Amino acid sequence: MALKVTCPNCGPRQYTEFWFGGELLPHTAPGADELAADFERVWLRTNRAGVQRERWFHHAGCRRWVETERDTLTNEFHGRE
Amino acid sequence: MAASESAPVNGSFDFEGRNVPCMQGDTIASALYRAEVRTFSRSFKYHRRRGLYCLTGDCPNCLMTVNGEPAVRTCMTPAAGARHVARGTGWPSAEHDVLSILWHLRALMPVGFYYKSMIRPRWLFPIAERVIRRIAGLGTAPHGPSDSAKECMHHHTDVVVIGGGVAGLSAAIAAAQRGERVMLVEEGIVGERIAPGPLRDRIAAQRETLSRDGSAMILERATAIGIFEGPLVPVVGEDLLHLVHPQRIVVATGAVERHAVFPGNDLPGVWLGRGVSRLVGVHGLTPGRAIVVVANTAEGLEHLELLRQHASRQRACKVVAALVPRALAEGVAPGVDVIVDGTVVEALGSGALRAVLIETGGSRRTLPCDTLVLSLGYEPRDSLLRHAVLEPVCGAGDVVLAGCSAAEAEESGRRTADPDHAPEAAEPTGAFLSEPSGAEGFVCLCEDVAVKEFEHAWDEGYRSTELLKRYSTVTMGSCQGALCHAHLKAFVRQRSPGSWVGQPTTARPPARPLRLEDLAAGARVPVEYHTVLHNRHIARGAEMDWAGAWKRPSNYGDVEQEYWAVRKNVSVMDISTLGKYRVAGPDAALLLERIYPCRVNDIKPWRSRYTLLLNEAGYLFDDGMVCKLGDGSFYVTFTSSGGDAAESWLREWADEWKLRVHIANVTAARSAINVAGPRARELLARLTQDSLDAEAVPYGGLREICVSGVECLTLRVGFVGELSYELHHASRQSEMLWDALLEAGRAFDIRPHGLDALKLLRLEKGHILIGQDTDFDTTPAKVGLDFAVKMDKPEFVGRTALQRLASLPRERSLVPMTFAGPRAPEEGAQLFAGGIHVGNVTSSRFSPTLGCGIALGWIRHPTGALPTSVSARDTVGDCEGEVTKGPFYDPKGERLRA
Repeated sequence: MALKVTCPNCGPRQYTEFWFGGELLPHTAPGADELAADFERVWLRTNRAGVQRERWFHHAGCRRWVETERDTLTNEFHGRE
Repeated sequence: MAASESAPVNGSFDFEGRNVPCMQGDTIASALYRAEVRTFSRSFKYHRRRGLYCLTGDCPNCLMTVNGEPAVRTCMTPAAGARHVARGTGWPSAEHDVLSILWHLRALMPVGFYYKSMIRPRWLFPIAERVIRRIAGLGTAPHGPSDSAKECMHHHTDVVVIGGGVAGLSAAIAAAQRGERVMLVEEGIVGERIAPGPLRDRIAAQRETLSRDGSAMILERATAIGIFEGPLVPVVGEDLLHLVHPQRIVVATGAVERHAVFPGNDLPGVWLGRGVSRLVGVHGLTPGRAIVVVANTAEGLEHLELLRQHASRQRACKVVAALVPRALAEGVAPGVDVIVDGTVVEALGSGALRAVLIETGGSRRTLPCDTLVLSLGYEPRDSLLRHAVLEPVCGAGDVVLAGCSAAEAEESGRRTADPDHAPEAAEPTGAFLSEPSGAEGFVCLCEDVAVKEFEHAWDEGYRSTELLKRYSTVTMGSCQGALCHAHLKAFVRQRSPGSWVGQPTTARPPARPLRLEDLAAGARVPVEYHTVLHNRHIARGAEMDWAGAWKRPSNYGDVEQEYWAVRKNVSVMDISTLGKYRVAGPDAALLLERIYPCRVNDIKPWRSRYTLLLNEAGYLFDDGMVCKLGDGSFYVTFTSSGGDAAESWLREWADEWKLRVHIANVTAARSAINVAGPRARELLARLTQDSLDAEAVPYGGLREICVSGVECLTLRVGFVGELSYELHHASRQSEMLWDALLEAGRAFDIRPHGLDALKLLRLEKGHILIGQDTDFDTTPAKVGLDFAVKMDKPEFVGRTALQRLASLPRERSLVPMTFAGPRAPEEGAQLFAGGIHVGNVTSSRFSPTLGCGIALGWIRHPTGALPTSVSARDTVGDCEGEVTKGPFYDPKGERLRA
């Protein structure tokens, strides 16, 4: 597999230059004292079959986080940069 | 023309003890054929004799062991590089193989017999497996390391064209003319397999055009093995694995002439037309004395004409008959016995072709001959096209228009230059030749699968291409279905017309055979980080070892001396591998306060604090120091291998909270040397005017000082438990500083220490090593580091998770232990309490200061109470120990505060 990820700073690059940062989740818990909500946020994933928002860290390039939208069924990246 | 007539002898190689001379342009196979070798291998299962058949790298017949490497396609391998060639199959030899008796026992070995017959008794299976593996197979894999180390090379091009025939060349030329970057990949040498004639001239002219332009890269003796997502096309070259990243791909791999299925179709002397055309036209060799040609393509008539002309020069050889359809009968030159609309029923002979039985107009007739040439149509070499699912790929030439003329192929190649050009669909091909009479005909030459074995498998219920493939192993041999896939489809479609069960099987890489070592190309040279002082360590005789991606000194020869230098005297250590970062900006303090579990807001300028790094699950993944240089200006360190992950973590939160902060990785720009030991201050005093006493630089404090002319940010920290100063400085001055310290240190009998001593020193202080003493789910409380977590802070990463975890019982803890015996248990030793397994040792050393073994280890304590005594079991034996409280050395920390 040789996925290409488009980095807004560096252009299209091999996926091996990136670390996968997973599905993009809301970082701030809905109400910090909601322990159960925090558990869900930390441990549960949507595991979406289709277009998902996600993050990649371009460790071998600009060393910045990149947000993308990828179709998990076809590995196609969509416009977002 | 014919190479053998004019070319001089060009080297030789050893073939099973014989010396075989080579001519210019020879492959191993052609040199052997000239030396009268006719049996090129023994077949996989029945040990039948096999001779040259396709000469295009599509069949398994010419696989031999070359220079110790098994299963080399000798028809594709130049003779020039060969030293030792041998047939890897047959016992005692391929020429006289007693195992050919297996053919007569074939009734006992139906398809899949090994699935059924080697189940009981169980003890027999390993023995049977060993025997069968010796009997079957294609030779012996070499042992030991390979002497070639292939490297990887990446190429970024607009177009990659796979196949250097007419279609591929014209596609490459058309793309190059549009100004695109083009790479052309050819398995052999462009044009080398084509007999002299207009086609060969055309290809030579096209190659000339393509190389004149200069913009195209032509890779010869290079094989594309697959098309992967990306797209990525790995190409195995002679010295390199090329990883080609194109924008689009043109597959022009051509077609192979159709393999025909009838009894005896595998006898030496049965040829595919292109194979014999190469033998005669390129190598100038004579296939046999009496030749029968079976053709139903225009190309077949060309082969016939080539053979006829060759025969007219070589009196010993004659084309005796041609079987052609009525439409082609006109094209056969006079002097050849033309048999119209005949079919081959059987090839007769034992070990070599003797005659062929044909049927024409309802009657049968036997034609004595020793060479049977088949030109019956085409099967596209389309496995690369079938690999590609979503990739921008189109086919050109024979691979999509099987049997097209050279002009059509050229036109089809040109069309691919248009990026919007829709891929042409492969023409449905594949009638199952002579199927009713062909029960003993081989469908698959690689794995010796005959038609009757298809029938057998079908009757057992394996009724789809995929099932039949797996049960009979057809298409799974070294040719990967090049010859047999069409027959597999045709068989299933005949049995079950119109059903989905006749779908083509999934094509998977590699499309062509490759060495296992090719897959490891580039893997032999791992990334290796060196500190600036690397050569200084080597010069001191340091034993270097991996620490993550770094190479670091384990010791300089004497670990105990290094240890005592730190405890009693003074020592230095290269700690440049630490992850080092500057964090600055208006929101720098806010970022660190919100991210770290320790308090950052109350750190005074020029003071530092130890901190843990927690993820959102509340688990420990790194630790380090945070140093305040001023308002909105921080210097932070992480562990040696954790810096990259920590950086991504800092940036993730800075992005998320949209903070105004700069994060600069200065790991390489800044080096660091730790000067440690009771006499550290005394040593540094000789090299600096600046004051270093406890008032100027207290424990936990930092200061800019100038040591021997080098500006150093000096941190007073205490990982080893003695008075110590970390000197962080510009990397370019590192050697200067190191030399100055060691020079001035002579008076103190200084010696540097490595990781071995460090691990002992820190263990005596009870400091954990992240990754060695921690697991992925280690909370600070489990390792006794709760003091570094301020739960009264309103927010830090992992706080909510720790709150949640606090309500759960803690069942495991990392505890310090002492072992009174003469040795410490090994790291990884299992721990028992009252005879019950409770955990394992993660760090252990014999402490020279305490005179006993000391260790950290995980202990399970579901009831809450820790055991007081434990027993550690390792590869040597048992050690009795006690659970204590840490740290083992200087528990009050007086020495490091000195």
